[in-house]
Amino acid sequence: MMRALAIGGFVTALALFAAIEWLARREGSRIPTLGEVCAYVMRYEVGSVPVGRIGLFGFWWWLGWHFLAR
Amino acid sequence: MEQPRDLVVDMPRTWDRPAVSIPVLLCLSLVGGRFASFSTEANLYTLGTGGVLIWLGLSNRMPRRPAPERLHAGAAWWALPVVVFGVFEGATFVLAVGDEFPTFSRLADPLLEGHLVRSGAWFAWLAAFWGLVRR
Repeated sequence: MMRALAIGGFVTALALFAAIEWLARREGSRIPTLGEVCAYVMRYEVGSVPVGRIGLFGFWWWLGWHFLAR
Repeated sequence: MEQPRDLVVDMPRTWDRPAVSIPVLLCLSLVGGRFASFSTEANLYTLGTGGVLIWLGLSNRMPRRPAPERLHAGAAWWALPVVVFGVFEGATFVLAVGDEFPTFSRLADPLLEGHLVRSGAWFAWLAAFWGLVRR
């Protein structure tokens, strides 16, 4: 029962990601695509340090290592 | 003689075309898919490919697509899947009862044991990473 709840929750979250991306790609949508949100986050800098870029790259690197190497 | 500005077209570099980048990513993914979890090869390959992409992304060698100056209020919709995922990941992680209420990683592990699915996951990871580098 609890296992089905966990699977249902994660599937719902993934379906929501896909649905919002689909809505964002429609003509005239006011929802930015996930790529645009990421690009906006990566613009963030503290002084000359691209904190947003480093943070997002670091997160994605860790995610790949977590799922594909361990 | 200087060309009129409106006649100058930025041609994508050869390696920057999907006809080149996708096969390269596919080859890298097929190699990555051969390495089992917890192996030294998998660790080195992940660190190596990710390290090169981070180096490319932080250097100014790569042309980048323009980023939006600001986001519409509609961007808040992205919080919905993030919160749903975060709630379930947090709950399964904190309760830590194993397969009875598994984390996302625990659910993904058996799926990623197959060579083909693992290569597919490698491709998704690398392609998204390449997309981030170009942003």
